[in-house]
Amino acid sequence: MAKHSTRYFTAIAATALLSAGLVGQAGAQTIKIGVNEPLTGPFAASGTYVVNGAKIAADEINAKGGVLGKKIELVIEDNKSNPTEAAAVAEKLITADKVPVIMGAWGSSLTLAVMPKLMEYKVPMVVETSSSGKITTSGNPYIFRISPPSSVEAAAFKNILPKMSVKKADFLVINNDWGRGAAEDFGKTMKADNVQIGLVETMDQSAQDMSAQLSKIKSTDSDTIMVTTAVEQLTLLLKQATALGIKKQIITTGGSQNPDQLIDQAGVAANGTFHLTTFAPWYPDDTPNPVATKYFLGEWKKRGFNFAGATESFRGYDGIRTIAVAIEKAGKAEPEAITKALWETELMGLNGKIKFEKQGPAGKESGQSMPNVYLIKVDNAKVVLPKL
Amino acid sequence: MTEYLQHMINMLILGSTYALLGIGLTLIFGIMRIVNFAHGELYVFGAYFVYFVAVLLGFNFFLSLLFAILAGCLLGALIEVALLRPMRGADIDTTMLIMIGAMIVMQNTEQYVWGGVAKSVSTPFPETPLVIGDFSVSWLRLFVFFAALALIAAAYFLINRTKLGKAMRATFQDRDTAALMGVNIQAIYMATFAIGSSLAAAAGALLGPVYVISPQMGNIASLKAFAVVILGGLGSIGGATIGGFILAFAEEMGAGYVSSGYRDAMGFLLIIAVLLFKPTGLFARSERVG
Amino acid sequence: MKRLLPCIALLALASVPMWLKDPYLLNAFVTTGIFIIAAMSLNLLLGYTGQLSLAHVAFFGIGAYTSALVALGFDVELVGGIRVVHEPWPVWLGFVIAILVSGVCGYIVGKLSFRVRGAYFVIVTISFAEVVRLVALNWVELTQGPLALTSIPPLTLGLPGLGYFDFFSKQSNFYLVLGVVALSYVIINRLVNSRIGRAMVALKENEWLAVSVGIDVTRYLVLAAVVSAAIAGAAGSLYAHYLKIIDPDVFLFLYTVTMVIMVITGGKGTLAGPIVGGLIFGFIPVVARSFASPELQWILYGLFMILIVFLLPQGIVPAIEKWFGVGEEPREPGATKPKLQDVP
Repeated sequence: MAKHSTRYFTAIAATALLSAGLVGQAGAQTIKIGVNEPLTGPFAASGTYVVNGAKIAADEINAKGGVLGKKIELVIEDNKSNPTEAAAVAEKLITADKVPVIMGAWGSSLTLAVMPKLMEYKVPMVVETSSSGKITTSGNPYIFRISPPSSVEAAAFKNILPKMSVKKADFLVINNDWGRGAAEDFGKTMKADNVQIGLVETMDQSAQDMSAQLSKIKSTDSDTIMVTTAVEQLTLLLKQATALGIKKQIITTGGSQNPDQLIDQAGVAANGTFHLTTFAPWYPDDTPNPVATKYFLGEWKKRGFNFAGATESFRGYDGIRTIAVAIEKAGKAEPEAITKALWETELMGLNGKIKFEKQGPAGKESGQSMPNVYLIKVDNAKVVLPKL
Repeated sequence: MTEYLQHMINMLILGSTYALLGIGLTLIFGIMRIVNFAHGELYVFGAYFVYFVAVLLGFNFFLSLLFAILAGCLLGALIEVALLRPMRGADIDTTMLIMIGAMIVMQNTEQYVWGGVAKSVSTPFPETPLVIGDFSVSWLRLFVFFAALALIAAAYFLINRTKLGKAMRATFQDRDTAALMGVNIQAIYMATFAIGSSLAAAAGALLGPVYVISPQMGNIASLKAFAVVILGGLGSIGGATIGGFILAFAEEMGAGYVSSGYRDAMGFLLIIAVLLFKPTGLFARSERVG
Repeated sequence: MKRLLPCIALLALASVPMWLKDPYLLNAFVTTGIFIIAAMSLNLLLGYTGQLSLAHVAFFGIGAYTSALVALGFDVELVGGIRVVHEPWPVWLGFVIAILVSGVCGYIVGKLSFRVRGAYFVIVTISFAEVVRLVALNWVELTQGPLALTSIPPLTLGLPGLGYFDFFSKQSNFYLVLGVVALSYVIINRLVNSRIGRAMVALKENEWLAVSVGIDVTRYLVLAAVVSAAIAGAAGSLYAHYLKIIDPDVFLFLYTVTMVIMVITGGKGTLAGPIVGGLIFGFIPVVARSFASPELQWILYGLFMILIVFLLPQGIVPAIEKWFGVGEEPREPGATKPKLQDVP
């Protein structure tokens, strides 16, 4: 028994090495787009939403005849919520699958791990979710980001802030680049507007009980809590804040807070909370691109996906559409041409115009698009656009 | 002062759930000498089971809790027979690796079956909290607190007052002598693992509705349970219970008065400190279990 | 035979970049190689002294951070207003300092943890790994916390009179990693075949007996922990300069698990074990990726791991040795060794 199995394993390993060298030789009848997303591990839920959005975009484009007369094909790989794997996946997509352009990689540490590979192979990547400032400022000319870093969000918040009654705010943020970045950028914006900043508390990415942090915040004299985290943790946080009898105004940032899931899972605890978001699927007529929004939401429903996922997945949809427009403009599916074309790409995304502005050190700037930011409010278990 | 008392209320409630997680693990640890990395996955199993029975099948919430505990017991027995019995006598690291394998398989099966999006369970308890003066606590958490204490008491009774418990304690003290005295060691191991698993499932079933249920929630639960066990000492239910409250106390104080970033480090720093002064854990009585 | 085989294996591996041109697979070889080095260092503790340390990812991460910070420079203010400013140093110095710092951490952790054994030891080492991860996450001034250290330069080697050589390409990194694997192999080989190594094995087999014949147990255990941590630190340094970005994810518990899997499936207490186990479990994800859905890849990985432990409880290398009739005398699979109680 033991002998056979050993032989068997050696055989597997050998075949694997041989066969892996042979993949990626498919004909050039389609145009490939690499998708590097977390499909297992801690970020699996979000990564899956983004991929679902990407698939809707690809199907829509192919139904209309594809790009440059060819169908587009998404090569979707799981980066396992792990930076080492994210880099390996990029390597595979570029060298084995020969994709001329990638979309990815959700989290900032995942995207940062992929970036040296883009430099090495000179392949562009459209960044759909990551928020770290370093991504566009470290001098990587193959980065084109459609999601807003917290500085952009904070700048948009500047216009809303005077209309809200905020005198002193505490922060409670997820302990990663996203949360810390938001605390810093929003803190600056608010200070400039004469709002006092109280506590800045963090919570671990995987934490489920935030009662301790909330109890501390409960006893301060602030009137507002600024919260940045993903939807699951936010649900817990709102429930726990209610349980502790916290009456302060809660404003969330970050744009993936998914108010429907909140209403569904946090119940009355979500009432009266404000959310800064980049996509408002509840009022398709008020979005910058009502036709596309309605189509996207219709498809999302038709495929049986949870409506709540739409606020996360629309970035995957926009990302693939951006890439398709760039390929069309480039006239050929080659990395260099697409990189160049991305600078000239302009389209109406689900949350406003997508057009890349230059950021980072001169000569090797990265692209950053500036999306719209909305403020919404949950009132009696319904999402409303507050009149300010 | 108000803040301090609120932290204390949080501590009691959090501590009871840590204790519940810890006692299941400490039994398995103490009697079987197995570093059970799948403990957190049994916790997740309990949570999803309640979701399945209460939300998808529409059963009564309290009945669902009971079902989840029984299902955890069965799954534990199954894991013991299928994965651990064939490896009896192997090194601690070999059995640990098997449990890590089980953890990887279970976690990704959960993700495969339920998807990565978190599920929530609604309960019959009112959403508005119980408010007394400046303090506030949710009804559900209050229920969880008392349910956890009842389960801990039941486990204590089982180990200290029943024939099965006596046999388990004998096995903990000296396996070979116990076997000579007519204790069926195989059955004891299976019972131990099943009881430990059902306690983990019970913790998941109780906490799933408090939090939200996702495939990754087991990782943090495992870590907390390990911390509780080390603080309390192997095989000591009383120790694990107090260990649970100490861990919760350290975390509340850490987050409230030191730095919330180091909240989760508090438990581990405590372990290292305990190690320096009393290496066998705070309450270990190595000669007996219970 | 015993001397010849490692040399043949080394030559075979050295030839890989000559016929394997696929960068993705070469990349898999390099990252797998880095984890093999870490697994070899873990094997020194687990296989030769019998102590299962789950703190190894901490030494790996400390090595990675030290090396990156030495190369990038930092500016921190310590308690009491003491400001420490460090200007970037040559990268190879980072590699050396990473090894030293990890070794020192190994000494401290060893001194503390070896007060306990068995399951206690396992949990205590997990605690260390978690504390180190949380420090890396929260000491933002030094480590940049979750904002990650980016633009880490590749390792460079200064050759007097010949200029500098940097390990940027995959081929050069492959040989670099292979070189460190070979060096670690030689060091561990020398160590375990010395008087010290025999003492270690003696106390693994029966600690009471070893104590009674006058072996200073803790001293040998701590020595093993220092060497082991230093090698893990070297692996971490290679990782940082190869991936070019590190953040607290470098302390992922999954990485520890990967190392443990490599050691135990390959055969703990054998020199070749971590290498064989590492190659297999480094490439299973690569193979599984080509045909299975993401969750299924993990499920297969877990099942395969359980299967190997079930079929070959002593590991692959001892099984092969037994098959060819070389190596040590055959051992009973799953045999119980005299074990210590879990209290000191």
